[in-house]
Amino acid sequence: MKISTQLTLFFCAVVTLFVLLASALLAQTRTVSAGYTGLLAQQVRQAEMARVVQVSFKKQVQEWKDILLRGHTPADLEKYTRQFHDEETTVRSGAVDLAGTVVDAKCRELLAQFVAAHQTLSERYQAAYDVYVGNHFDFKAADRMVRGKDRPPTDLFDRVVKQLNDDVVSSVAAQEIAVARSRNLALIVSGTLLAGLGLVGLVTVRNILQRLGRLKAVSDRLAAADLEGLAVDIAGPDEIGQFGESMKGVHAAIEELSSLAAAAAA
Amino acid sequence: MAAKLIEFYDKAAKEFGLSGRIKLALLTKISSEKAGAVEDSPDNIRVFEQALRQLRTQGGG
Repeated sequence: MKISTQLTLFFCAVVTLFVLLASALLAQTRTVSAGYTGLLAQQVRQAEMARVVQVSFKKQVQEWKDILLRGHTPADLEKYTRQFHDEETTVRSGAVDLAGTVVDAKCRELLAQFVAAHQTLSERYQAAYDVYVGNHFDFKAADRMVRGKDRPPTDLFDRVVKQLNDDVVSSVAAQEIAVARSRNLALIVSGTLLAGLGLVGLVTVRNILQRLGRLKAVSDRLAAADLEGLAVDIAGPDEIGQFGESMKGVHAAIEELSSLAAAAAA
Repeated sequence: MAAKLIEFYDKAAKEFGLSGRIKLALLTKISSEKAGAVEDSPDNIRVFEQALRQLRTQGGG
């Protein structure tokens, strides 16, 4: 193969390799980005929704306490009752929405239990509210009816939040492992390709330089008219081989000239 | 002994002089000294015929 062809092919191989590596890195970046986007859009969002429901539930319980403490004033009773029901609705709809989006079966089961427990708690709050309002704001009687009853749903929802957070942590860890695996694969593949290309380039250049060295040695001997035992054995389909063939003609012509000169001198 | 190849050198010398011999050596890559040592193979004869034809075409120049 001609040296010009070899160099062109080598150049094309280098350019192709870098284009392939750049494309692979771009694809890898897109995959990583898509993985994290999916994580943010689903699991992180669900964990955030769960925290909103958790806070709303705590606010609902707080509104109940405000009803008991300040409900003897009509305006406060109306205000805190409304706020209590607003939070109650937020908690219920939030939990139901969350149950419809989570994939984790254990989490879905916990949410179903929470929705049922929250429903029961709402009925208890309503009964206690009726006693509170019906008995001239007797907060002690009302409090006795619901005291400690918010603990089981609270614990249930704390488990939901913990489960979703654990899911996020494990998904992030899985994503990091996938990223590390892709990075290592990219390093190995690109390193191997670059090493292979470097080796091919090194062998090609070394071969060209060796043959050029032999050609220069022949040329030096011809220039010095040192023809004794000189053999031009540089062949091949490339430019150096073609130059070697021309050198053979020059060698033969100098030999002929030399023998003619010797004959003339004799 | 390659008598036929030597004949080519004689023809070149006769038609174009000493420069014809040198040009024949240049084209065939085989000097008259070596032509005496190599075989009169069909390939070698073909090379010399072609070279002599080229010399004649160029008028020995």
